Formats: sequence, C-alpha cells, structure tokens
Amino acid sequence: MSPDTTSALLLSLRVDALATLLNALVGIPLAYLLARRRFRGRALIDLLTTLPLVLPPTVTGYYLIVLLGRRGWLGAPVYQLTGWSVAFTWYAAVVAATVMALPLLVRTAKAAFESVDRDLERAAYTLGRSELRTALEVTLPLARNGILAGLVLAFSRALGEFGATLMLAGNIPGKTATVPLAIYTAVQTGEESTALVLVGVLTALSCLVIVAANRLGARAT
Amino acid sequence: MSDRLEVALALQVPGFTLDVAWSAGGGVAVLFGPSGAGKTLTLQCVAGLITPARGRIVVDGRVFFDSAAGINLPAQARRVGYVFQGYALFPHLTVADNLGFGLRDRPRAERARRVARVAEQLGLGGFERRYPRELSGGQRQRVALGRALAIEPALLLLDEPLSALDAPLRRALRDELRQVLRDVGTAAVVVTHDFTEAYRLGDRIVVYDGGRVVQSAPRTELLWQPASESVARIMGIPNILHGTVIKATPDRIQLRWRGHVLEAVNSPTHSYLPPPEAPIAFFIRPEYVRLIRKDRRPADTAHHMNLMSGVVIADEDFGTTWTLRIRLDAPGPPDQGDYDLQVEVPHLVYEILEIERDRRWEFSIHRGSIHVLPS
Repeated sequence: MSPDTTSALLLSLRVDALATLLNALVGIPLAYLLARRRFRGRALIDLLTTLPLVLPPTVTGYYLIVLLGRRGWLGAPVYQLTGWSVAFTWYAAVVAATVMALPLLVRTAKAAFESVDRDLERAAYTLGRSELRTALEVTLPLARNGILAGLVLAFSRALGEFGATLMLAGNIPGKTATVPLAIYTAVQTGEESTALVLVGVLTALSCLVIVAANRLGARAT
Repeated sequence: MSDRLEVALALQVPGFTLDVAWSAGGGVAVLFGPSGAGKTLTLQCVAGLITPARGRIVVDGRVFFDSAAGINLPAQARRVGYVFQGYALFPHLTVADNLGFGLRDRPRAERARRVARVAEQLGLGGFERRYPRELSGGQRQRVALGRALAIEPALLLLDEPLSALDAPLRRALRDELRQVLRDVGTAAVVVTHDFTEAYRLGDRIVVYDGGRVVQSAPRTELLWQPASESVARIMGIPNILHGTVIKATPDRIQLRWRGHVLEAVNSPTHSYLPPPEAPIAFFIRPEYVRLIRKDRRPADTAHHMNLMSGVVIADEDFGTTWTLRIRLDAPGPPDQGDYDLQVEVPHLVYEILEIERDRRWEFSIHRGSIHVLPS
C-alpha cells in the first residue's frame, strides 16, 4: 500500500472513531431529552438534528463553513483570538462526520427510549430513584439495543462522509483526505490499484456493519 | 377514628376534568367505577407522579401535597408502594433485584434480609434468580406487590392488581391479596372496575364516575344503600325499577309500581322523604324474590308481603342458578323492556318447582328487600 493509502485509512478510522464517540456523548442524552421531556425549543432542536439527513451534504458543509470557517460566526472570533481555525484541519473532518451522522443516532435512540414503558420509570420514581438514576438504571439498559443500532448506523454514515467533509476540511492528502475522498482522488488521477484497495476495504467494513446491525436487531426483538 | 388518608384534588387534562375529594381511615379503600372515571389519575396524583392543579393529599399526618401551602413532595420522598396495572417489573433485573430495587441505599445485609423476608411472605422463595419473563402471571403480581412492600411503604397503591390474570387465578389471588393486605396492615388504595373485587378487597368503597366521586361509603352500606340510581347502575345492580311515591315516612315508603302497591323499608340512617306522586327509583335483588309454592294454601296478602303474579317469559342457566325473566299480569309496558323483574333461583328450586314446564307464578317480596334509590 502506498503511504497515502495507509494514511487515508488511518485518518478515516481516527475520524470515524472520534465522530462516533462524540455522537454517543451528545446524541444519547439529546435523544433521551427529546423522547422524555417537553421543553421550549424542543421542536427546533428536533428540526436541527434531522436537517443534515435531508439536506444535500454540500449544503450542510456550506452551513458549517458559515458557522466555523475563518470568517464564520463562531470561527472568526476564535481566529482573531488564537490565530487558529478548524477549517481544513483533520478536526474539521471530525466535525463534518459528527454532524452528518448525528441524525441517524438521535432518531434511532429516540425511538428506542420512547419504546420503554413509562410505568417502569414511574415505578423507579416511587421506589426512590431520581430521574437521572432512573434514566441510567432503567431506561438506558432497556433501550440499549436500539442505541447500539443507532451507533452502528452513525459509524457507517461517518465512514462514508464525503460532501460536508470536502467543504469544511478540504481534500489534503495525508491531512484531511479520508478514504472516500482518497478514492475520488485516486479515480480522478487514474490510480486504479489504490482506488481498488480502498473500495475493497470500505466494502468489507460496510458488510461487517450490516451483520452487526442485523444481530442487534435480532436481539432487540 | 381520624382519617389516615385524605385526598382532595382537581386536575384538567385534554377532554377530561378530575375533581374529587374523599377520605379513608386505614384499611383498604377501593376506588371503584367504569374505565376512564379518573381512578388511575387519582393514584398517580397520590404517588406524586402527576401534580394536580389544586388540592390536598395527606397520609397519616404527612402532607404530600397542598396547593394552598405550596407543598409538593416529590414521588421519591413519599414512600408510597405502587403496584402498576401490568406490574411494570424491570425486565432486565432478576426477581431479587426487582424486590430490592427500592432498597438500593440500604446496607447490603439489610437489603438481602428484607428481600428474603418479602420473598418468603409472598411465596416467591426459590424464584429469586429468575427474570420476570420466566414467571407466571400470578408470580409476577406477587413480585410487583413484594417490590412495593419491601420499602415498608406508608401507603400502598394498587392499580387493577388482578386484571391481567385469568378468571380462576383472579379469584384465588383476590382472596390471597385480601389476606396479605390485612396481614401487613398498611393502608391501601385499590383501583378496580369489578364490583365483586371491590367488595372483597375494600373496607371502604369510593365510587367514581366521570371524574367525580358519586359515593363514598363502607362496603356494606354501599351494597345495600347506593346513593343514587346512577351509583346502582355503575355497581351493575339488576332490577332497577321505576314507580311513583304514594307516601313516605322515616321507616316506610309506599309506592305504586305496574298497578301494584308496594311497601318498602326506608333507610334507618339516611331517610329519604320524597313527596307523594314523585317518581321514585328502587331495586330488588333477584335472589330475594320468593316464588310461592302452589301445593301450599292459597297465597294471601296477609301472609305474603308485596304479592304479585306474572309469567316467566325467558330463563337462562348460569350453572348453579337460573335467572328467570318475569312479566307481571298488569296492563301497560313492562318496566325493563319485555319483562318486569329478574328473579334468581337455585338449580334445586328450579327442578323441584318444575319451572321449566310451569311458567305462571305468584311471588312476594319482603319490604326489607325493596331498596329505594334517592334521586
């Protein structure tokens, strides 16, 4: 394997692992709140976390530039203060993958939380459990399979992320070129063998993901 | 005796208004009424799972909720044992962990001791390591009850505790539950829509209808003195009839019904004195109608109170008893569709009197068996 192929693979795995972790940290609590609480702005959050699923990835990527780019709403103050911008770094690839994958986890986990019988939580309250401990000891374990299935979906979505990553992180070999971007470059420059290796690896990984998702689905029922 | 349990609450949810007030002194209070009357909502308010708009809930002197004083204890602090309809056992935990769920903050040894005691008390010994899905319906009910009892609750709340079981088991567990509630002596509120269950389990029965309390009385008082025709209907009492008052005194009420003059006993505690010619509702329990044997001397009004005659137009076999539908020999339309009176006789009587063949009967009703329903 060429150094670029190896670095693309390692980068993709690193980006994907981090994006999935961020998804778990943000998406699972968010899904719980959306499933169980009624609060102001709930509909807006629901909309925002679903939008990346529906919008073309390049549009989501454009919004991310508007928000985080060197001249973005959040990006500009950070750049002025520190001289650093997330755009065109490998962190940008993580951000893009996280945002693109979040809807899949949130929607799947929310459905899993909603399927837990509310009387079980009420029983825990009458037995002295706070809402947080009830969520951790009752709701979360019972929604586990749905949440894991959502994480598998998020992982695979992040792995295949192309459009938003290209917009925010660019396609810098060895730095922000994840496997899907590297495949694109390889095909464009006629490096057939590199493309074939990367396509093969992605296909194998996707097959694994499908098998894992099916197993979780079977256990959930 | 002072009331151990005082409940007054008002609450609006879309399409339904709950506005109730009742109290009970220890023992078992049953909330009885049709589905959708607000019984479960009341339990959830008492447990602190729902906050009513207004009201006051006091258990053994502890104020759970008082909208005027701004008191609202969280569910976690009320120490109320709640047995949910369908039990709500934690499916991912064993029987022992379900039973001990409310004891998580106690020392391990104490927790184990109390789980063992509750398991033994409810006949769950040997099932501690099973999961809820591996239990029968009756065992699940016991685990749910045990889990609520393990926290030594100030009050037990049971929502339709037997409705998930099939009939023979329901009867057996009803009596077992009655015994357990008596033994532990914890004040309890049971929700049911089955009158037999309400009567078997309750010391006091609170009748709900459409989000209101229509009667609250000790169980025997309710059985014999429903406060109104609608309460009697909710209880499922047969033979609710309609006549006209002739004369009412504190001990007797004379009334006209289907061309007959009937005499009824007025309630000794809650005399009802409607004016003459007022319409009046009353009921006659089908098992208290006396058929008069034809092989004895002829019936006469001196020996037989409220004497009437009629024809059996239909009969139904209920296994141990027969129910006869009788149409009176009187002009005008029958009181209950095509018949006037439903009469229940044991199988043996049905056979001895040869009712299958002989359809025309004289019968009498003791005045103590005609119960007037205030309107």
